Amino acid sequence: MKEREIEGAARRRKITGKWGYTWHLWVTLLLHIAAIVLFTRGFLLTRTELPYYSNSSDVSESQCLYSSSHNNTTTSSWTKPAVNRLIIIVLDALRFDFVAPSTFFPESKHWMDKLKVLKEVVSKSPTSAKIFKAIADPPTTSLQRLKGLTTGGLPTFVDVGNSFGAPAIVEDNFLNQLVQSGKKVVMMGDDTWTQLFPHHFERSYPYPSFNVKDLDTVDNGCIEHLFPSLYEDDWDVLISHFLGVDHAGHIFGVDSTQMTEKLEQYNSILEKVIEVLEKESGPGRLHENTLLVVMGDHGQTLNGDHGGGGAEEVETAIFAMSVKKPPSSVPVEYDTSSCQLDLDGKNVCVSSMQQLDFAVTMSALLGIPFPYGSIGQVNPELYALGAGSWNLDVSQQLSESDIWIQNYANILCINSWQVKRYIDAYSASSAVGFSSDDLSRVASVYAQAENHWLHSTKKLRLDKRDIDALVPALKKQIESYFNFLRTVAELARSKWTEFDLRMMGAGIAIMSISLIFQVLAILRANSQDGATLASSGYAWFFSASAFAFFLLGMRAVSFLSNSFILEEGKVANFLLSTSGIVALRKSVVKGKLLKESVGFLLLSTFCRFGIEIGLSKQASTSAFMKEYTSWILNIASGLAVWNHAAEVVPILVLIILAFWLYKATSDIFFGWPRKIVVVCTILSYMLIIVHWITENNRYILAFMPESIGRIYIPRIVYAILLGQLLLLVFAQLFRGNSSDCKTNLVVKTTAMLSAWSSTVILLSGKQGPMVAFASIVGGYCIMRLCDIEDDAKNGPQRRLSIGPFPVMQWNLFATCLFFCSGHWCAFDGLHYGAAFIGFEEFMLVPQAIILTLDTYGFSIILPVFGLPFLVAMKYKADLGKHVLFTQLSQMYTTYGLITAIMTTFTIYCVTMHRRHLMVWGLFAPKFVFDVFGLLLTDVLICLASLYYFDQGKDAHNHN
Amino acid sequence: MDRRKKREKTTVTKPSTVDASSPPKISPSEAFIVTLSSVLGLGLAFYVANSGFSIDLVTDPSRTIFFIWLVELPIVILLYSRYRQNPRQCMCLVFVCHVQYLRAVGRGLLAVPIGALLNCLGAIALGAPVTFQFLPKTVNWSLMMSLFTTVPASCVLGSSWAHWKRIFAQTQPNGSVEYLICLPAHGAVIGGWFGAWPMPLDWERPWQEWPICVSYGAIGGYLVGLVASCVFVLACARSQHVKQT
Repeated sequence: MKEREIEGAARRRKITGKWGYTWHLWVTLLLHIAAIVLFTRGFLLTRTELPYYSNSSDVSESQCLYSSSHNNTTTSSWTKPAVNRLIIIVLDALRFDFVAPSTFFPESKHWMDKLKVLKEVVSKSPTSAKIFKAIADPPTTSLQRLKGLTTGGLPTFVDVGNSFGAPAIVEDNFLNQLVQSGKKVVMMGDDTWTQLFPHHFERSYPYPSFNVKDLDTVDNGCIEHLFPSLYEDDWDVLISHFLGVDHAGHIFGVDSTQMTEKLEQYNSILEKVIEVLEKESGPGRLHENTLLVVMGDHGQTLNGDHGGGGAEEVETAIFAMSVKKPPSSVPVEYDTSSCQLDLDGKNVCVSSMQQLDFAVTMSALLGIPFPYGSIGQVNPELYALGAGSWNLDVSQQLSESDIWIQNYANILCINSWQVKRYIDAYSASSAVGFSSDDLSRVASVYAQAENHWLHSTKKLRLDKRDIDALVPALKKQIESYFNFLRTVAELARSKWTEFDLRMMGAGIAIMSISLIFQVLAILRANSQDGATLASSGYAWFFSASAFAFFLLGMRAVSFLSNSFILEEGKVANFLLSTSGIVALRKSVVKGKLLKESVGFLLLSTFCRFGIEIGLSKQASTSAFMKEYTSWILNIASGLAVWNHAAEVVPILVLIILAFWLYKATSDIFFGWPRKIVVVCTILSYMLIIVHWITENNRYILAFMPESIGRIYIPRIVYAILLGQLLLLVFAQLFRGNSSDCKTNLVVKTTAMLSAWSSTVILLSGKQGPMVAFASIVGGYCIMRLCDIEDDAKNGPQRRLSIGPFPVMQWNLFATCLFFCSGHWCAFDGLHYGAAFIGFEEFMLVPQAIILTLDTYGFSIILPVFGLPFLVAMKYKADLGKHVLFTQLSQMYTTYGLITAIMTTFTIYCVTMHRRHLMVWGLFAPKFVFDVFGLLLTDVLICLASLYYFDQGKDAHNHN
Repeated sequence: MDRRKKREKTTVTKPSTVDASSPPKISPSEAFIVTLSSVLGLGLAFYVANSGFSIDLVTDPSRTIFFIWLVELPIVILLYSRYRQNPRQCMCLVFVCHVQYLRAVGRGLLAVPIGALLNCLGAIALGAPVTFQFLPKTVNWSLMMSLFTTVPASCVLGSSWAHWKRIFAQTQPNGSVEYLICLPAHGAVIGGWFGAWPMPLDWERPWQEWPICVSYGAIGGYLVGLVASCVFVLACARSQHVKQT
C-alpha cells in the first residue's frame, strides 16, 4: 500500500517536474522580499545625500535682493556678516537642566545650578546673551548630531551617499561653506570632528573619543589648546568639543559626584573664557565682535544613555553671548523667552529653539552661504544677538527694531528660497522623494509668501516714503515665511524621523505568514513521506528535534537583549559547543564516531578563540581596524618569528587545501566540464599564493611590476570564478547519465564549492585558508554525525529523514564562521579593505558585490551550496531521485526556516526596542545584517535548487 | 573522554525499569541522610567562608569555592563509598569489606582530578576564560564540579564503562543509588549551563563574572537534583513495597 502511495507521489512529481520540489522555496523568497521591503520602508528611514553645494553667486537667482545699486556690488555674500569671529564650545551630552536655573524645574537636583557663570552673564546683560532650550532630533548620537548641526538637515540612520565606509561628510555643510568663504577654522577635542571633516581645519587637536572610562584626556587637551588660541588671530571660527560630561554620564550616571565635579570644572573654564573675551573686547581688539556659543549636541538620561528620542535625550541647551553689545533686544513678537528668578534672586530668561536651525543661523551671522541641504530657519533671537544684524547701510529714518525687522525679513527671504531650492532638488533626484501632495502643499505656501514679497514688501521697501505701511507689511512677510519653513520642517520630520508603524506591522505580519508557510511545507513533505517517518527511530528523532528547537529558541530569545547581540558570536559558539557535547553523548551511547564528535568539539573550542579575538577587536573599535582585515596579522604584530609564521602558515594551509581537493576529486568520476572547474580552482589557489607572496616580498617585485600581483591576480581570480560558474551552468545541459544521482549530487556540490572557495579565500585575506580548513573539518564532522543513529539493525533499506538537528548544527556553525572570520554585525565590522582587493579606485557595484562575498562568503554562500552533502552522505545506497530530492528540498526548507526564525526575532526585537537607546547603535545594524543575510540565503537557496534539482522526469527509471 | 557532560533535559526517567538483582539499593532514610549531609556540607562551607573569613561567592569566588569543595570532599567520598557496587561479597569477611571500602575511597580520590579536568575542558569549550588571572577560579570551580558529578559515580560504580555510559550518556539510572548519582550530577551541569546565560548582560554586577553565576547555577541545580533523587528513591521504595505485598 505504501509502495502505491509512493508511486502516486512520484507520478505527481513526474507531472510537475522539478518545480514540484522547489516551488515553495520561491514562494518563501517572494514572501520574505515583500515583508522586508514593507518593514524596512517603515523602520529604516533613508535620506539621499545630494552632491550639490551652495555658491556665493547663487543668491542672485532668488528674488530677495533689491535692484538698487549698492547691493549689486555686494552680491558675493548672501547676508551681511553680523559677527566677525565665532567660538563654539560643544559640551557633549549637555542636559538642559545643567544650564537652566533649577527654578525652571519642579524639583531641584544637586546636578543643577552648577554652570553658574552662564546664568550670571544672561541676567547681567539680557540683550547680548541668551540661554536656549535646544531641541535635537533623533537619532541622538554624537556622530549623527554633529552631522545634523553642521548640515542643517535631519540625518537618518541610513544616509545614502558617496561616503562608502568613511564617515566623512560629503554633503554641503557649515564647515565646507566656511572654508569656501576663506574662513579659517581651528578645532580641538573629540576626534569625531576630524573623521567627519578630514580636510576642513586650519589646525586641529583631536583626541580619541572611544575610551569612555577616561573622563579627562579630551577635556585636558581642549583646555591646553583653548586658552592660547583665544589670544591668537589666525582663526575665524574655533570649535572646542569637551567629552567629560558624556563619559561621566556613561560610566557613573548623572547623579554622581564625578558629574558634579565635571560641571564645576566646566564652570571655571567658561568663566575664564568669558573673562578673556571681555578683556579683549575693546575696539580694534581681537574679540571686538565675537560670538561665543556654548552648546550640547544632545542630552542624556539619568543613566547617561542617549541615542533615542526621549525628552531627556533630545533636550539640550545653547548659550550664546555676543561680545559686542547689540543696541536692543529682539522685538517682542519674536521673543519666545520665559523668565524666572533663580535661587540668587536674579531674573533669568530662557528661550527655545530647534537644533535644526543652528547651521543656517550661524551661516547668516557670519555672512556665508547657507548649506545646500539645510532645512532650518534663521532663528530670530539668536540672530538678534549679532550686533551687525542691527545695522542698515541705507540711511533711513527707522527705529532700531524696524531696521532689524527689515534685515531679518530679507534673510528669511533668502532662507526660504534656499530651502525651497533644496526640496525641489531633493524630490527631483532622490529615488524616494516626497509625495506629490506634500510637494504641492509646500509649493503653494511658498508661492503665497513669494507673491507677497514681490508685490507688496519689495515695492514698499524701494519706495522709501511709505514707512508706516512698511513695518506691518514686513511683519506679515516674516509670518508667511515662518509658515513656509515650519511646513517644510514638519514634512521633513515626518519623512526622516518618524517610524511608519502600519508599514512595520504589515511587514511583521507577512514575515509571520511566511514562517507558517515554511512550517507547513515541511510538514507536507513529511506527510507525503509518511512511510519514512513511521519506520524511523521515532524517539531519537523526536528528542533530537526537540533539542534543535530548544537551541533555536534560546538563540532567538537572546536577541531580545542588546548585550546578547553584542556578544552574539559567543552565544552562537556556546550553543554550538552545547550541540557538540550532546552529539558526543549520543556517539558514546552508540559507541561509534567518537573521533568525529570529539573533533567537532575541539573545533568549536578553536572557533571560540577566533571569535574572542574578533570581539576584542570590535571593542577597541574603528580607526586601527581598517588597517588589519585579518586577525592573523593582528596576533602576529609582535615577534619576528610570528611574522614569518603568519606569512608562511596560510600559504601552507592553502597548498594542503589544493592537494586535498585534487585527491578528493581524482577518484570520483567527473564530467569534463566539472573537471575543468576543479582544475581552475587549484590554479586560483596558486595565483592567490603568488598574490600573497608579492604583497610582502621585495625581491619578487624586482622581476615584475607591483600592479600585476596586486591588481591583476585578484582580477584573474574573479574572472576564473565567473568562468567556472558559466561552465557549471553549461555543464547542466549535459547530464551525466552514466553515474547515479547520488554521486552526481556529490560531484555537483564539490564543483560548486570549489568554484566559490578561491574567491572567498582571497577576499578573507590570510585567515581565509584556516577558516576554509575549519569549515571543511566542521562540515565533515556534522555530515558524519548526522547518520549516527543509522543502526545496522534496521538494515540498509531503511530510509530515514534527516531531522532538524544536523541542519541546526550546520546553521550554528555557519554563524560561528561569520564571527570567526573577523566580522560582526555593525558597519565598522565590514572589511572595507577587502573591497579594494583588485581595485585601485572606487567603483560602487563591483565593490559592493565583493564586500558581500567577503562578509557572507563563509557564513552563507558556502554553507548553502554545501548543504547537499548532508543528504548525499546520509544514503549509502542509491535510492533514486525522488527520495533524494524530497530530502534535499526538505533540508533547504529547514535551513531557510531556521534563518527566517532568527531574522523574524530580530525584527520583533527591533520593533519592540524602536525607542531603545541602542536602537541605532546595535539593533539597527543587526537588523540590516540579518535581513540582508536572510534575503541572500533565500536567493541562494533558490539558485541552488535550480542547480541541484534536475528534471524529475526519470524518477521512475531509478526507482 | 568527555562523556560525563550532558546537557539534554531528559531528567524524566522511567522508574518502572528498576531491576532488583545487581545494583545496590539504599533505603529512603539513607538517601535522606546523604542528601542532608551534602546540603549541610554546602551550608557549612558557606558559613565558614562567611563568618570565619568574611568572604562569600561574590567577593572572593576562588576561596569560597575552595571551601565548598574542601568540605564536600570527605562527605561525598566517605558517604558514597559505602554504597559501592557488590558490597554483598564482603558479608562474610569484615576485612575484605574494609579493603573494598578503602578502594572505593581511593577511586573517589582519583576521580577528583580527572573529573576536574573533564569539567574544565567542557567549560573551556563553552567559553570559560582561559587567561592566567582566572586560573585559580577555574581550577577550584572544576574541582567543585568534579565532586558534584564524577566523584560519587566513581566511588559507587568504579571503572565500569557500561554503567558510566548508561548513567551519564543515556540518563537511565537503575536503582536507588544510581538516582542519587545521576540526578544531582545532571542537575549541576544543567544548572551551570543556565547559570552562564546572565554573564553577557550589561548589568555590570560583580556576580556576572566567571565563575560566580555559573557556580550559583550549578549549586542550585545540584540541590534540586538531590531533592529530586530523594523523591525518586522514595517512590522507588514505595513501588517495591507495593510489589512485595
